[in-house]
Amino acid sequence: MNTSTTAVLHSEWIKIRSVRSVSFSLMAIFAATLAVTVLAFATVGQAEADSPGYEPLFSAFYALNFGQIAAICFGATALSSEFLNGALRISLSAVPRRGLLYGAKVSVVGGLALVMGLITSFATFLVGQMFMGEYAIGLGDPGALRASFGGGVYLALIALFAAGLTAVLRSAVAVLSTLIPFLLIVSFVVGDVAGDIARYLPDQAGQAVLHQNPAGGLGPWTGLAVTAAWAGAALLAGWWALRTRDA
Amino acid sequence: MTSIDVHGLTKDYGATRAVDQLTFSVRPGRVTGFLGPNGAGKSTTMRLVLGLDRPTAGSATLGGVPYASLENPLRRVGALLDAQAAHGARTARDHLLALAVSNGIAGTRADEVLEDTGLAAVARRRIKTFSLGMRQRLGIAAALLGEPDVVMLDEPSNGLDPEGIIWIRELMRRMAREGRTVLVSSHLMNETSSFADHLIVLGRGRLLADLPMQEFLDSRTRPGVRFRTTEAARLREALIRRGFLPVQEEDGRWTVDGATAEEVGAAAAVSGIPLLELTELHTTLEEAYLALTTDEAQFAAASSPTAHQEA
Repeated sequence: MNTSTTAVLHSEWIKIRSVRSVSFSLMAIFAATLAVTVLAFATVGQAEADSPGYEPLFSAFYALNFGQIAAICFGATALSSEFLNGALRISLSAVPRRGLLYGAKVSVVGGLALVMGLITSFATFLVGQMFMGEYAIGLGDPGALRASFGGGVYLALIALFAAGLTAVLRSAVAVLSTLIPFLLIVSFVVGDVAGDIARYLPDQAGQAVLHQNPAGGLGPWTGLAVTAAWAGAALLAGWWALRTRDA
Repeated sequence: MTSIDVHGLTKDYGATRAVDQLTFSVRPGRVTGFLGPNGAGKSTTMRLVLGLDRPTAGSATLGGVPYASLENPLRRVGALLDAQAAHGARTARDHLLALAVSNGIAGTRADEVLEDTGLAAVARRRIKTFSLGMRQRLGIAAALLGEPDVVMLDEPSNGLDPEGIIWIRELMRRMAREGRTVLVSSHLMNETSSFADHLIVLGRGRLLADLPMQEFLDSRTRPGVRFRTTEAARLREALIRRGFLPVQEEDGRWTVDGATAEEVGAAAAVSGIPLLELTELHTTLEEAYLALTTDEAQFAAASSPTAHQEA
């Protein structure tokens, strides 16, 4: 890593921390997930634990559904801040090597999302279980450590997926208004109707890692790899868009 | 020192040709005014020089090197393109800090240029609260950040108050004296004539003129004088005898096209006519520019009816 790469990474970090909507989204990954975890587990946690088909491990990460929306907001706003009013021209004047600029930005977004994702994922597991009394499981239980780690990676991948799409569409609004309804509605509906294909959707595939014994075809790591492929494809498309277009 | 060299530069946006085979050099040590009406291709040319847009043909280099190949470009070239481009949610200082850090420039430079541009008091305010003039100063601060050899400013006096306009004029003159290369676009003629040494004039994407300011004015100047006298009738006759045609203005002064002060002064002296005032008429940059672009506009109107837009 030469000086200029380090310098550009540092610059991208300053850009992210200095825009409130971006840094708030990053913190919201943790805040939203923990808040929902506390609310849900304090109220209905133990009551549902007796119901048939209850999966203690997967349920422990219920609140990641909300955290992932913050992760999408983070990935989208971090990238979209470059596309407002020609801000990209200023950035490219400073760092004309577009690959370096994009790579540094994506690395910082991914790195921050991964750190925040891992903290969030472990915290939500540990905090949630504090409310579960006799039903509580620990990190030593089968799959728990893997699910906690995988949940953090999953959040980072979702943030990168949103970041790549934003680089293509050049607008956080466009990405948020497509991706969030998709995750909240389409994925649930399609997931019930067409199980085979739905398994390969970016959210459903990655969430396999949260199950103790993922049902169906995708194993925990395979599922995460499918989500990584989605994120990678979005990032490549974003790179292609940035590389070829006039700023 | 670094010059800007543009060679055969051409840029099409769809069917519109914004810049058409431009070739010129911007030299260090002087302020070069970049003139042309809106849509003439000034901003596009600057974006092409910075490698932000890709040329359809031709090249633009700084000291022989394309902008994108410069290491830490902010230390070589400072540009103000669009004062509205800075992200409104950032503070002025964070905006400059992110730029400085990316080019290995010390963070203290951010504070220095904020001081230099009169923004020190609002350094920690968010840019969205800034007036147009303050944003303009911030854009200039960003251009000065790396103490560059080359400075390109697109309409720098936009939104500046009169003191600001004087300040930016002095700044540009000083940078040229220090041996830097200064390219300043404007569509305000009187203002440009107050700071530019050299002119590059564009019209509809083509190069119309590339010459020193004085030469440009002289090339468009027909000699003429204005005089005031107590014996207008006698002087008029004397001038008519010498082949001139004095015309009386509404305020009582007379003007003579095609005459020099020497000729009119001599004519008056020979006849013993007292002159109260004798002035040579100079073409203003505005008149010279309009004369140049009128020819061009007529040609353009005849050849193509489509209007160009500022790209």
